[in-house]
Amino acid sequence: MTAPAATPHKSFSLARVYAIGSNTLLELVRLKVFYFLLLFALLGIGVSFFTSKMTFQEQSQVLKHAALGMMSIFTWLLAVLATAMLLPKDIEERTLYTILAKPVPRLEYLLGKLTGVLALLAIALVVMVAMFTLVLYAQQQSALAAVASQLAPGPDLEAARQQVRADTFTANLVPGIALIYVKAAVCAAVTLLLSTFASSAIFTIIVSVMVFIIGHVQPIAREYLMITEKGASELARFFLGLVALLIPDMRAFTLLDDLAVAIPFELFMQTAGLGVLYVTVYFLVGYLVFAGKEL
Amino acid sequence: MATPAISIQNLTKLYPIPFKREKVTAVKDLSLTVEPGQVYGLLGPNGSGKSTTMKIVLGLVSPTAGKTEIFGRDSTTVESREDVGFLPENPYFYKFLTGAETMAFFGKLCGLSGARLRERTKELLALVGLENAADRRLGGYSKGMLQRIGLAQAMVQEPRLLVLDEPTAGVDPAGSREIRDLILDFKKRGITVLLCSHLLGQVQEICDRIGILHQGVLVREGRLGDLISIENQTELILENATPELLAEIQAAVGRSNGRVVEQRQPQTTLERYFLEVTGSPERVIGDR
Amino acid sequence: MTRRHLTALAALLVFGFVRLPIELHIEGKARAARFHGVKLDRGVFEKVGQMGFVAALSGFRAVVADAFWIHAYGVWERVDWAAMKIDFDIVTTLQPRCVLFWDNSAWHMWANASIAALEDRKQPRAALRLKAQREYWRLGEDYLLRGIANNPDSAKLHTSLGSLYRDRFQDHAKAAEVYARGAALPDAPVYLHRFAAYELAKCPGREREAYEKLLAFYRKGEDEHLPTLLKHLGELQEKLNVPADQKVNTSPPPAKP
Repeated sequence: MTAPAATPHKSFSLARVYAIGSNTLLELVRLKVFYFLLLFALLGIGVSFFTSKMTFQEQSQVLKHAALGMMSIFTWLLAVLATAMLLPKDIEERTLYTILAKPVPRLEYLLGKLTGVLALLAIALVVMVAMFTLVLYAQQQSALAAVASQLAPGPDLEAARQQVRADTFTANLVPGIALIYVKAAVCAAVTLLLSTFASSAIFTIIVSVMVFIIGHVQPIAREYLMITEKGASELARFFLGLVALLIPDMRAFTLLDDLAVAIPFELFMQTAGLGVLYVTVYFLVGYLVFAGKEL
Repeated sequence: MATPAISIQNLTKLYPIPFKREKVTAVKDLSLTVEPGQVYGLLGPNGSGKSTTMKIVLGLVSPTAGKTEIFGRDSTTVESREDVGFLPENPYFYKFLTGAETMAFFGKLCGLSGARLRERTKELLALVGLENAADRRLGGYSKGMLQRIGLAQAMVQEPRLLVLDEPTAGVDPAGSREIRDLILDFKKRGITVLLCSHLLGQVQEICDRIGILHQGVLVREGRLGDLISIENQTELILENATPELLAEIQAAVGRSNGRVVEQRQPQTTLERYFLEVTGSPERVIGDR
Repeated sequence: MTRRHLTALAALLVFGFVRLPIELHIEGKARAARFHGVKLDRGVFEKVGQMGFVAALSGFRAVVADAFWIHAYGVWERVDWAAMKIDFDIVTTLQPRCVLFWDNSAWHMWANASIAALEDRKQPRAALRLKAQREYWRLGEDYLLRGIANNPDSAKLHTSLGSLYRDRFQDHAKAAEVYARGAALPDAPVYLHRFAAYELAKCPGREREAYEKLLAFYRKGEDEHLPTLLKHLGELQEKLNVPADQKVNTSPPPAKP
C-alpha cells in the first residue's frame, strides 16, 4: 500500500490564524472572564444611588464618566490579564509543541493569539456599550417625562426635550469609545511583546501595568527630551529619553477625559492610526523575539 | 532511490548554562536515516538526547550544527511539517476543548475545513474508539483516552510520517495493545513511524530498525533482528514432544558441534495472560 | 540576553525615534482642539491624594472629578460651605472644560452659601453677615470668570454671570456687557440679546443705545412684542422724550381668544 502523497504548503493562511484566534477566544470565554460584566451592571446601580439628588445633567454626566471610566479600566485589565497568561500557559502545558508541530508558522500562532484577545475586547466593549446605552436611554426617558410634567406643550417644552436629548447622547461618545478600544488593543500588544521574553505571567502583568501608568506621563518625558538648553541634567535626559522612546504615549488615547469637548474627525483618525501603528510594531517586535525562542 | 523519510546528518545540539561559559551537549554528531514505510525506534535512557532529537526533527528547536530533513525538506521550515503527525508524551492539548473540537482545531491548522474536516474527524474518532466521548471535554478524559485523541490528531492531515513519543506510557494493557495494533496498521499503509519508548518489549514487537542514544551519542543503530539476534544460537519450539523425542534431539545435538544451551517450557507473555484473564480479547485492526 | 533580544530593543528604540514627530504632531492637534490642557502638578497631588493623583494621571481624571463632585453633595447635606469649596476647586481643576461644574459651583456659592451666610443666626452682627454674603457672591463670580476663561464659547456661563451681575451685584453695565458677549456665541439662546438691551436700559447715559437696540427687536415683528420689551421700550420713550409720531405702541397686545 502506498503512503499518502506529499501535502502542498501555504506559507500564510488566514484560516490558520482564524483557527487559533477563535480557539483563544473560546479559551478565554470558557474561563468565564465575562462575569466581570456583572460588576459593570452593578456600577450602573451604584451610580444611580449616589446621584439621586443631582440634576439630570449632573446625573447624566456622572453616569457617562463612570461608565466610560469603567469601560476603560475593564478593557485595559482584560487586555493585560488575558494576554499575559496566553503564552506562559501554552508553554507550561506544552500545548505550544503540539500546535507548532503542525505546519503553523510562529507568526500565525502569535497573530492568532492577538486576534483572539482583540475579539474578546471587542465583544466585551460591545456588551458594555449596549448596557450603558440602555441605562442612558432609561435616564433620558425619565428626564423627558419629568420635563413634560413641568412644562406646558409648546416651543419651550420642545426646546427642553431637545436639550435633554442633546445632553444624553453626545456625538463625542462614539469616537471616544472607539479610542478606548484602540488603547486596550495597544495594551494587549505591549503585553504580548513582554510575554515573548518574560519568564512568568506575573512579571508580564507587573511590567505591563507600569508601562500603562508611565505611558500617561510619557509626553512629559518626551518634552524633556526635546530640551536643548544647558542646565538640563544629561543623566535625567538620558533616562527620560529612554522612557519617551520605549514607552507608548497612552495619554494620546485619553480624549474622553474631556467629554464635553468635541473630538475632531481628523484628530480621531490620526490618534486611531497611531494606535494601529503601535499594535503593528509591538506585535512584529514580539514576533522577532518569539521566532527565536527555544522551546 | 526513495527520499528518506527522516535524514539526520551530523546533528549537534548544545544548550548554554546560564552564567557559565560551558555548555551542555544534548546531542553530539548524530547521523541516522529512516526510510519511508519503516517503523524506527529511537531508544535511550532519560537525558540521552531522544527528546531533543525529536524536537529538532519537528522544527521546535534549532540545531547548533548539522542538518535534519523530512522527505527532503529542511525540518526547520514550516512546510516540512505538512507531512508530519506528532503524538507528544503526556498529550498536550487544551483541556477546555471537547474531543471533536480538538480534532476540528488541529484539522484546521492542517488546512482541512468544512465537510472534509467533519468526515475526517468522525473517521478518526471512530478509528481510535472515541466516538462516544467526542462531546466530552479533554479535562475529563483518562490517560488512555488522551493518548488516543493524541493519535487521532496526529493522523488528521494523513501524514506520511508519524512521530510518537511514548505512545503507550501510562496506558493499560488493553489500550496499549490497541495502540500497538494501530501502529502496525499505519505501517501497512506505508506511513513511516518514528517511535520513542522506554517499553522495550513493545519496541521489539513493532520496530524494524532501532537507534540507541546514550549521552547524546548514537551508540548502536540497525535492523532490530540483526542487533538482538544471538548469531550462533537457534530457537526451536516443539508442541506435544514426548520425552523420548527430546532425548533423541539431545543426543543428535551431542553428536554434532552444537550444544543444548537451555531446555525449558516456553511461557506466554504476561500481557496475553492479563488480556485473557480480564476478558479483553486480542484484536487486530482489520477485525473492526 | 540574546542577539534577538538586543535587536528587538534596537527596533523599539528606532521606532521610538520614528514615532516622536508623529506623536508631537498629534499632541499639537489635540492641544489646538483644547485637549490635554490640565496640568497635574503638586497642587493637585496635595488636594486629591496619591490614589486620586495616580488615577487622574492614568486617564481617569473625569472619574476622580466626579467622585469629588459626589462628595461635595454629601458635604452639602452637612452645610459645610468651606469643604464644598475645596471639592469644587478640585473638580474644576481636574475638569476645566466641564461647564456644568463651573456653573453649579458658582451657583452653590452665590445662591446657596450667600443666603445661608445672610441668615446665619450664629453671627449676631448684620453687617458681617452682609459682608459674608457679598464674599460668597465674589466666589461665585470667580468661578464663572475662570469658567469662561477655560470655556470662552459657553453661552451658559455668560448667561449665569450676567444674571449674577444683574440680580446680586446690581451692576447693570457689567451685566449688559456679559450678556452681549454671550449673545454673540454660536449656542446662545435668543433672549440673551434682549437681556443685554434690558440691562443697558438701566445704565445711566446709555438709554439711547438701549432704545435703538430694543426698537430693532420691536420692528422684527409681533413675536418680539414681549411684555418686558414693551415695558422697557415705553419707559425709554418717556425718558428720551421721543416725539409722539416716532413712538411705537407699547401697550400689551390683546390676549388671543
